[in-house]
Amino acid sequence: MLSRRSSLVALCVWLALAQGCRHQNESLSDLTLAHEVSPHPPRVGPVTITLRLTDTAGRHVDGARVTLEANMSHAGMAPVFADAPETEPGRYQSSMELTMAGDWFIMVHVNLADGRKLDRQFEIKGVGEKLAADFHR
Amino acid sequence: MPLVGNLLNWRHARTLLQIPLFVISVAMVLHGLFGPTLAPKNLATTLTWVHFRGALVFVLLFAGNFFCLACPFMFVRNLARKFFRPTRNWPRQLRNKWLSIALLVAMLFLYEWLDLWASPWWTAVLIIAYFAGALLIDAVFKHATFCKFICPIGQFNFVASTVSPLEVAVRDHDVCTRCATKDCIRGVREPAAPLVVIQRGCELALFQPRKVGNVDCTFCLDCVQACPHDNVGIISRLPASELMNDVMRSGVGFLSRRKDLAALAVVFAFGALLNVFGMVSPVYALEQFLATRFGVRSELPVLAFVFAFVLVCEPLLLIGVAAWITRVWSGSKRPLISLAVRYSYSLAPLGFGIWLAHFGFHFLTGFYTFIPVTQAAVADLGWAILGQPRWGLLGFAPNVVQLLEFGFITLGLIGSLLVSYSIAATEEVVHSERAFIPWAVLSLLIAVAAFWLMLQPMEMRGVVLGSG
Repeated sequence: MLSRRSSLVALCVWLALAQGCRHQNESLSDLTLAHEVSPHPPRVGPVTITLRLTDTAGRHVDGARVTLEANMSHAGMAPVFADAPETEPGRYQSSMELTMAGDWFIMVHVNLADGRKLDRQFEIKGVGEKLAADFHR
Repeated sequence: MPLVGNLLNWRHARTLLQIPLFVISVAMVLHGLFGPTLAPKNLATTLTWVHFRGALVFVLLFAGNFFCLACPFMFVRNLARKFFRPTRNWPRQLRNKWLSIALLVAMLFLYEWLDLWASPWWTAVLIIAYFAGALLIDAVFKHATFCKFICPIGQFNFVASTVSPLEVAVRDHDVCTRCATKDCIRGVREPAAPLVVIQRGCELALFQPRKVGNVDCTFCLDCVQACPHDNVGIISRLPASELMNDVMRSGVGFLSRRKDLAALAVVFAFGALLNVFGMVSPVYALEQFLATRFGVRSELPVLAFVFAFVLVCEPLLLIGVAAWITRVWSGSKRPLISLAVRYSYSLAPLGFGIWLAHFGFHFLTGFYTFIPVTQAAVADLGWAILGQPRWGLLGFAPNVVQLLEFGFITLGLIGSLLVSYSIAATEEVVHSERAFIPWAVLSLLIAVAAFWLMLQPMEMRGVVLGSG
């Protein structure tokens, strides 16, 4: 059985390692991910999400593989998955079908060309119902 | 029933069922507090608002109050009572349902105001509050005070189980007549040490020979295990039949004299509509409209108004009018309030149908979602034994489930019509159909409202106004 001192040392080591892991993720905070959602205001149906990935010097980060996962704020609802291919250097665009009105959370999974991974999340609040005109298209 | 019957007769059957639910509850609390903040990714929100609620109503529909049997809060409370014994009795003035009704309404209110369905953290806090409440109350007060007078989920289950097909009941009343020890309520004590309880009797004061129905019964099976004649069991019955009778019930009294129980049935029925209304598109337009009219920017007063209207004003008006028409048109000699109380219970089946439609929808359409959430939770611990989370797993198709929704509401409506007709038929009036029609119309109105709500587009938003 470990002595109390050994347990405390083990805990400190574990915490340090955990901090180290978090620092690795935090080192990716030097990248900026900007997003645009169209149409605005967003409505049920297809939306276009445009992402721009830049570093601290403002240079485009290209060659990444970007996938999106959209979830509602209520558990048990159908998530939506989509790829966001690069359309211009550092610009990634995706078309997703938002299936329900309400608040959506978009999780962005980025696999950079150098093998690092980046995860970000943003909200699309207040997605409205389809307009009557949309039903007649 | 072979195997199942032997299991339920075993004195540790309840503990055996409670342990897994307790373990799951702990996992939910931990994941809710420390896991992903997104509700679909968290065990607390997924298991509570999708699976627990859905499984609860389906078990009530097909069996009975087995969730109270397997209650994890009572598991912890029973453990605690091995170390300290409560000495006080619950105050006489509080031995009714009014406090538990207030807590049930509070829970429904908090669900909407704090968007509990979207918050793993708040859901975990709610679960912790339940454990704490059960421990605190039953540490101080004797018997099953928390179950009978406090627990909001329990009160929901008591009303819902009035339409369940199973009931804990006596097999042969002649055996009870000959019984001298009445162990089912007194319990079994050590002969040499009378203060030592070997087997509890009913902690909810339901004396089996005079117990009628499932109100206040937690299916704890203490009476089953205490009976020395093996004369108490889980018996099948006609669902909702207990609502048709107004006989003296052990531990409950006459339904027609229990205004608090009637109010609980009303909150149960109208609360079902309110809970559905909270997640369809028209509610946001209504909130905006009310906020503009009241000149407020916060959701709290708007929500309070909606709750007061749907749970107090609307039932008072509708039930009051129905009771008045019944009295005037059928020639009933009952006082108005007595009529309202008696017939309020007829709303329970329809209320249950609406809860079933709502909770059943989320349960069935999101049935498999616990799998990827569990996979991810285990992977986050560093154990990749369950594989990559399959986030695309869902459940049954919504358009198919919607047909079931309508079916559940229809079944509930039929149940309410049968109950109100049966009550009217036993009334001492010349024209019993005239006593029945106002309540039939009320049930139809509620059912139409429910159908309309189920047809509205769902819209799950955090807050439209401020949450202050």
